[in-house]
Amino acid sequence: MTPIRANGAIRNGLIAFAFLGYLILIGIPGRIGGAALPVLALVAALFFWVRLRRDASGTDGSFPQTASPTGKPGWEIGAPGHTVSQEQVMPLPGAGGALAIRSGLLAGITTGLLIAIVSFAFASAIGSGASIQPVLDKIVPVNVAALIGVSPGQIANDEVPTLRYLLLVLIFTAAGLLAALAVVAARVRNPQKAPVARLSKSLDSQLYRTVARFTGILLPFLLLAYIAWLGIPGVSAFGSNEGTVRLLLTLIATGSGLFALRLVRPGREQNVVAPLLALGALTMPFILDQFQNSVMGLVFIFVMMGLGLNIVVGYAGLLDLGYVAFFAIGAYTYAFLSAPFSSPYISSLLNLLAISPEIPLLGYWTALPVAMLTAAIGGILLGIPVLRLRGDYLAIVTLGFGEIIRLFMLNLGELTNGPRGILEISQPGLFGLAPQSFSSGFLSSQGWIFLLALISSALVAFVAIRLNDSRLGRAWFAMQEDEDVAEATGVHLVRTKLLAFAIGATFAGMAGQLYASRQINIFPENFSLFVSIDALALIIVGGIGSPAGIVLGALALKGLPEVLRGVDEYRIVTFAALLVIMMIVRPAGILPSARRRTQVAAPDEQALTPGAEEPVAKELDGDTARQAQAASPQSEAVRDKEDQ
Amino acid sequence: MAPSRLTAQVAGVNGKTALRFLLRAFGAAILVLVIWRVTTVGLAEGYPASFWISQALNGLVLGGVYALVALGYTLVYGILFMINFAHGEVMMIGGIAGFFALQFSQARGWLEGPWPVVVVALLLIMLFGMAASVLIGVTLERLAYRPLRQAPRLVPLISAIGASLFLQYSVLLIFGVSPHSYRKPALISGGMRMGDVFIPYTGAIIFVTSILLMLALYFIIQRTKLGRAMRAVAEDRATASLMGVDVNAVIVITFMLGSALAGAAGVMLGFHNTVVKFNSGFVPGLKAFTAAVLGGIGNIPGAMFGALILGLIEAIGPSALGIPTEYKDVIAFTLLVLILIFRPSGLFGEVLSEKKA
Amino acid sequence: MTALLSIQAVTKVFGGLTAVDNVNLDIEERSITSLIGPNGAGKTTLFNCLTGLHTPEAGQILFDGRSLIGLRPDEIIARGVARTYQNIRLFGRMTALENVLVGQHLQLRASHWSAVLRSARQQAEERAARSFALELLAFVGLESHAEVVSTNLPYGEQRLLEVARALGSRPSLLLLDEPAAGMNPSETDRMMELVHRLRDEKGVTVFLIEHDMKVVMSVSESVAVLDYGEKIAEGTPEEVRANARVVEAYLGPEVVLQDTVATSDI
Ligand SMILES: Nc1ncnc2c1ncn2[C@@H]1O[C@H](COP(=O)(O)OP(=O)(O)OP(=O)(O)O)[C@@H](O)[C@H]1O
Ligand SMILES: [Mg+2]
Repeated sequence: MTPIRANGAIRNGLIAFAFLGYLILIGIPGRIGGAALPVLALVAALFFWVRLRRDASGTDGSFPQTASPTGKPGWEIGAPGHTVSQEQVMPLPGAGGALAIRSGLLAGITTGLLIAIVSFAFASAIGSGASIQPVLDKIVPVNVAALIGVSPGQIANDEVPTLRYLLLVLIFTAAGLLAALAVVAARVRNPQKAPVARLSKSLDSQLYRTVARFTGILLPFLLLAYIAWLGIPGVSAFGSNEGTVRLLLTLIATGSGLFALRLVRPGREQNVVAPLLALGALTMPFILDQFQNSVMGLVFIFVMMGLGLNIVVGYAGLLDLGYVAFFAIGAYTYAFLSAPFSSPYISSLLNLLAISPEIPLLGYWTALPVAMLTAAIGGILLGIPVLRLRGDYLAIVTLGFGEIIRLFMLNLGELTNGPRGILEISQPGLFGLAPQSFSSGFLSSQGWIFLLALISSALVAFVAIRLNDSRLGRAWFAMQEDEDVAEATGVHLVRTKLLAFAIGATFAGMAGQLYASRQINIFPENFSLFVSIDALALIIVGGIGSPAGIVLGALALKGLPEVLRGVDEYRIVTFAALLVIMMIVRPAGILPSARRRTQVAAPDEQALTPGAEEPVAKELDGDTARQAQAASPQSEAVRDKEDQ
Repeated sequence: MAPSRLTAQVAGVNGKTALRFLLRAFGAAILVLVIWRVTTVGLAEGYPASFWISQALNGLVLGGVYALVALGYTLVYGILFMINFAHGEVMMIGGIAGFFALQFSQARGWLEGPWPVVVVALLLIMLFGMAASVLIGVTLERLAYRPLRQAPRLVPLISAIGASLFLQYSVLLIFGVSPHSYRKPALISGGMRMGDVFIPYTGAIIFVTSILLMLALYFIIQRTKLGRAMRAVAEDRATASLMGVDVNAVIVITFMLGSALAGAAGVMLGFHNTVVKFNSGFVPGLKAFTAAVLGGIGNIPGAMFGALILGLIEAIGPSALGIPTEYKDVIAFTLLVLILIFRPSGLFGEVLSEKKA
Repeated sequence: MTALLSIQAVTKVFGGLTAVDNVNLDIEERSITSLIGPNGAGKTTLFNCLTGLHTPEAGQILFDGRSLIGLRPDEIIARGVARTYQNIRLFGRMTALENVLVGQHLQLRASHWSAVLRSARQQAEERAARSFALELLAFVGLESHAEVVSTNLPYGEQRLLEVARALGSRPSLLLLDEPAAGMNPSETDRMMELVHRLRDEKGVTVFLIEHDMKVVMSVSESVAVLDYGEKIAEGTPEEVRANARVVEAYLGPEVVLQDTVATSDI
């Protein structure tokens, strides 16, 4: 028993070291500066805490809270699930406590020793004049010094006191001890329940719930008011960081608005709150400044994209990784119409026709249907060849299409002006008035774009939701579930798929047009694969199939990184890591649609047997099928996580 | 056996008139276009035969590298039915590791020594690259894919995309922005001349090495107990595990094999292209996936031939069609689309049920 | 009276295997016909040919006097031929009600624009569809499960739901592929009763594949037997039961022989 424990503890220490080592390699200690060591120790402690708590809960992996009551009929009495979890009574607190402390210490020492060794190696290498930087970019004196807790000069001169390294070991050992103590203490006080469960239990009163609900509903309004107050000239609460903090608050306010919408009861309450929320949203462009408006504008342009892509991926189940193509088509269509002089080919064509290329051919609003139509046609044209493809094949081919479109934009210099891009695209006006003239200072140019993006997203969401709620939406979903059966049930596959592609493309075209006028100048690099990936990631993070989730996803993925501008370097790795973690922890998204939730609660055979074995699953005979249904999917997920 | 066939029979939708017509028309249009370009432009340029031959040889070299990467995609797809989107990055990391090993050997002066020393040093460089890739590949499987084995197929794909980005930008952060350039040792920097055709040594070495590695893989899969276990898991994971195959181990080994090949490809691509950077695995990765699909994904010889064909077409295509070389990616992807329309299971694919396709 | 469905010399070949071999069969309007045969006899393949999932290599299929050959599955269901599947294939994440609504897909005519604008006509159509769907669920006995996600239904009820979904298209011919497979006796009884009611109350012609002889004998008015793709017998249940070739097909020639030897030994 004990040796296994020790192995586990050392493994924990190694994993913590691997993670901290990664942070050191990418230069985090140098970024944090003086407080680096405590912060790293805290991270380690948190990690140890999580691991120890799991180890301490004993038999975790082998007995997940399996079998919902239906799983073993007549086997359990009382509330579902409860029986099982209460049977997992803690092992003896005393012995278990000593064990936990021992493994905490062991893990801490392992991590500490390794980190001390590594930092010693770095420090003495730098001290002896060997330059590590050409290999490891971030291993510079500042970084290493912050890690060891000395000044960069001491590192360079190789005069780090040896005691420092001992301290390093001690600090991480202390982190391990702390984590172990926290686990033991929590167990002594209430051996049966996790802190979160305890908390929610004590707060589970009617009064509390009502209060929480109303707070939730009020929160967006309060935040909005605060943001507005911050916008009054002369008011300043956050010093030099004002703009970013206001942006963050705006993002939170918008997100909380979505949650408020979920909290209201349908009926009278909703009829009052929903219009108020809409009104609040519409005032945002007027109270934000140019910077915040431009970020929010981008966020909502991506909301439109996400809603469009959601039709293709979320509703129709066609995994499209080349969605940027339609965004680009919309943007370039408007660009050609608005700034024909930038394109050598078009301007010479216009000269032939004796039309001056210097003035826009069409205004924003007259160009809108054109952009939408070209995007829709693009959607259909690109949709036809992939009609017969499914799943991953579809993904890779559409990805290819996206790249092809970008390569064309880059290399068809005559038409698109190549990498020099199309410049001086005009802004949307209103009834023939230039944007500056009607806003008269109330609305910045980016605010106007934000307002338009907001309104268009609302329209797009409206159309998407209504379509999904009609026979077309049902046909899409049926197709996603089982294409052949859908066809045999009367769904015209070609038409239904092409409609999804076309509608999705239309929305992307609208978004592209607005994007072009927001950017004023567009270049092929604006339309790389990453746009597709962003759009896909935001609907997945938000919750596939759920419009509210998409807004939330856009806020998180396109808005938050702007707040983190200061740590620009680490944006993408953070985002990427979050994407992976999200998929593991909450694959249905932050605000999943009702259908996805049912999927998580009760998956079809696919979730039980991996996709590959689908045919087998479908052929289960009566008995197996019944068992398969009974086995709780939740337990599957749990077991999987515990397996790690 | 029987169950999958039964599903296949319902899934085996015959392309019905309208759809088939649309697709055929699309394909025919492109074919006509290609033939027209080739006859009127490409051949009319009047390049000498030696030009075509050296282009083709170039294509074979590139194809050999693609093949190594494509095998990784195919192996993983065959077993897990997921696109390991980060496989290109696994290759890139092999290239980066190989670069440092190269630097190290150069600093030691191993690469100026007598030829046996140089050969051993080069082998070690490649082994180091392979080891780094294996490490990353296995970690990837463990952290990003294993927890998602039961999830719907979209989920691991997204996770793979995240992993791909993560690896790219971690490399950027850890090793810096400046591209790492491979300096070839003198021994392999020349080439040989056969008539009008010049064959660089690196090209020849890359081609031969990739063929050898592929043969080794083929041997492992067809002739060893491990290979049998892999094939069993690919066929039916549940049944294989009932028969006592350790599915997890097989999956890990699959990732190891695929990553090792990718690592070798990364090092060789480093010698071929002379630079490696954080994002230099992405496009080759995509191409390799295309190659795997071309040959019929899940099919090992298919991946090899698909990659060679892709390399050839990419090398010859632009000149034959008389278009700028920037469009070689367009050619690759157009080819992919055409193949999938006319042979959805790839050039050499066994007839998969369309469900999988 | 001419037949509602007339299968004429239909042949379907997979590679070297002739799964359906020159089969002729007529099905009268408002009849209940069973198709039986050992495993792999080609029964499901014949159904797939009828519903457009496979195109037969040879032969003709006339429904209501018009050919079904070469039509897409959605065109065939539009003509009035609906089916269920041997291996249940519901739209798993949809509720029972939604499944039946998809079944009515072709009945609904409102444009997608009107769906966005929620025009009065479209709304009325949706309401009608909904109530018809509920009516069908009640018909098969699932009225209380309308909002249950279909994978969460017990196995037997999933089969019933497949029938309801097929009825959504208001078919005149319903093909049931082993409707009672995997059911317990009481569920089987319920299914048999449903088959009768389909014909008697809905006026639907039923053509079903079944392995359970009890079901076949009690439910069908005529029976056709397939073996190795060929039709080896046809007639009333009693006639078929007495047919020597059928017995042989089911038990195999050796068994028959051994049986006789064994009895003579005694
Ligand atoms: N798509 C297909 N490709 C190749 N062979 C097929 C296909 N579909 C069916 N078969 C073969 O055709 C034969 C007839 O199969 P079918 O499913 O029609 O039999 P069945 O009478 O329905 O049997 P069961 O009683 O088991 O359902 C079988 O040998 C089967 O393997
Ligand atoms: Mg059958």
